[in-house]
Amino acid sequence: MYAIEALSLSKRFGNLQALSHVDFSVSEGETFGFLGPNGAGKTTTIRILTGITSPTEGTARIFGKDIVKETIAARRQIGIVHETSNIYTDLSAWQNLMFTAELYNVGRQQREKRGRELLDLFGLLERKDDKTNGFSKGMKRRLTLAMGLINDPRLLFLDEPTSGLDVQSNLIIRDVIRDLNGQGVTVFLTTHNIEEANLACDRVAIINHGRVAAIDSPERLKKTIQSVQSVEVAFDSSGAVKTDDLERIPAVSDVIKEGDKFRLITEDPPAVIDGVMVFARAHGTRVISITTLGPSLEDVFIRLTGLDIRTKGVKTVD
Amino acid sequence: MTESVSACGQLCTELNAAWAIAKKDILIYYLKPNIIVSGALFPLFMFLAFAVGRPAEPSTMIPGLIAITILFSASSIEPVSIPIERRMKTFDRLISAPITLHAVVLGESLSGFLYSVGIAFVPFIAGIVLFGTPILNIAPLVLGVILTAFCFATMGTLFAAYPTESPGDIMSMLNLVRLPLIFVSGVFIPLSQIPAAGQFITYLSPLTYGNDLIHAAYAGTTSFNPLVDIAMLCIFILLFQFAANRLYKKFNE
Repeated sequence: MYAIEALSLSKRFGNLQALSHVDFSVSEGETFGFLGPNGAGKTTTIRILTGITSPTEGTARIFGKDIVKETIAARRQIGIVHETSNIYTDLSAWQNLMFTAELYNVGRQQREKRGRELLDLFGLLERKDDKTNGFSKGMKRRLTLAMGLINDPRLLFLDEPTSGLDVQSNLIIRDVIRDLNGQGVTVFLTTHNIEEANLACDRVAIINHGRVAAIDSPERLKKTIQSVQSVEVAFDSSGAVKTDDLERIPAVSDVIKEGDKFRLITEDPPAVIDGVMVFARAHGTRVISITTLGPSLEDVFIRLTGLDIRTKGVKTVD
Repeated sequence: MTESVSACGQLCTELNAAWAIAKKDILIYYLKPNIIVSGALFPLFMFLAFAVGRPAEPSTMIPGLIAITILFSASSIEPVSIPIERRMKTFDRLISAPITLHAVVLGESLSGFLYSVGIAFVPFIAGIVLFGTPILNIAPLVLGVILTAFCFATMGTLFAAYPTESPGDIMSMLNLVRLPLIFVSGVFIPLSQIPAAGQFITYLSPLTYGNDLIHAAYAGTTSFNPLVDIAMLCIFILLFQFAANRLYKKFNE
């Protein structure tokens, strides 16, 4: 049985087709990433999968339960961490947790035990009785995640869990996601942080204009665009090296300056390495480091969503 | 996984969740300044504006004061709390929990109901302490306060379904209904003195039946049979609950 089955999901708001025949399934225990630019249909998909809104067409099942016809039974299996840290700032951390537990019908003894465990896990136990309006952004986010886990869900929806957080909160949340996965909890993760998806997800779906453009493991997706390989090079006098000059090296299709390094996009890395050496000698500089890089998940994302402002000549894949 | 923690079944789960929502509102919203002003002070000033100087007995004025206090206090919590929760995105927590919208509507209404019953004690006690107003029959008073408070709390929840993040938007719409209700429901003007054209509107106002029932406790007489008052208030409660449920569902789409 799949944790999530989305079968030809469509959603129309007036004249706007927000989702168009979206199909995917997520296996139990899988960490599944859902990537897409703003307005692509990520939030609409989550709202349908959590039963907040109904699809215009199609079906969604959570552990075999139809989310429209068996909404309550399906929701009992899930925890939701919304994009905004939607906690009650006039209540304490403990009151927020206990309120959520009561909404999910978690018994008193169990919710108090679980509540303490979660506050401890997220480093908030010492502040449990403090009103949350004094909490930092990271603390609020950690509490939101704890509230999503209070009912010990089999499936956790995480909407942008680490967006804009401090390093400590980021690390705690990433560790927790990894541990949850180890415990067999299915995680559905939407994120703008492509590297986060690359590191955390077993598979990712890339959605654009309400349609799924690709679904596969991050590594397999990268292999589909081998043409977007690159050579990363640093010169001992990077300030003197001009991007336009590097673009003249044979086989280089584009050049991106990244800090003190340049990333040369190419289909033929060996030829570019030779070209870079010739370039360095001709310009009286030295190469400090040079590395060949395969396509990143970000490259795949850019290629599939058409958000390309870097790689010339690459077009959206329908 | 806590799929079935309690043996009390889905109904019990829904009632527990509704009570949790009401408790949350009590903790957060009861002492908000705009709720104190619109729920407690506004009806008092309204009453003073219309009642002071009129040659009426306390036994006539106190039931009216209780009725309009309930009208304003019961319908003041949700029009403030729900738009704020929409803005803070905490409302998404309620509508994505494993409970029906009925439980959400019930829980929100419950907080307005409890607030209103508490506030209604003020004119009730004032009537006894300041004017020695006798209560001839306590049963219609208790029933009248409970049903009227729940009715207007549900009406407040219904108006709060309008998808806005600003409490002012809902309060404006609500006052367009609440203020005329005072004048067509026999609170200040006896039903018999209302022009024939206005009588029809009188029958459509839940305040008419609530006020009539509360008035019975003090005067011993009613314009309608008390059973009619009770039945009409129950019908309004069900109607508002049903409509609120439909509207929340529609506006979440």
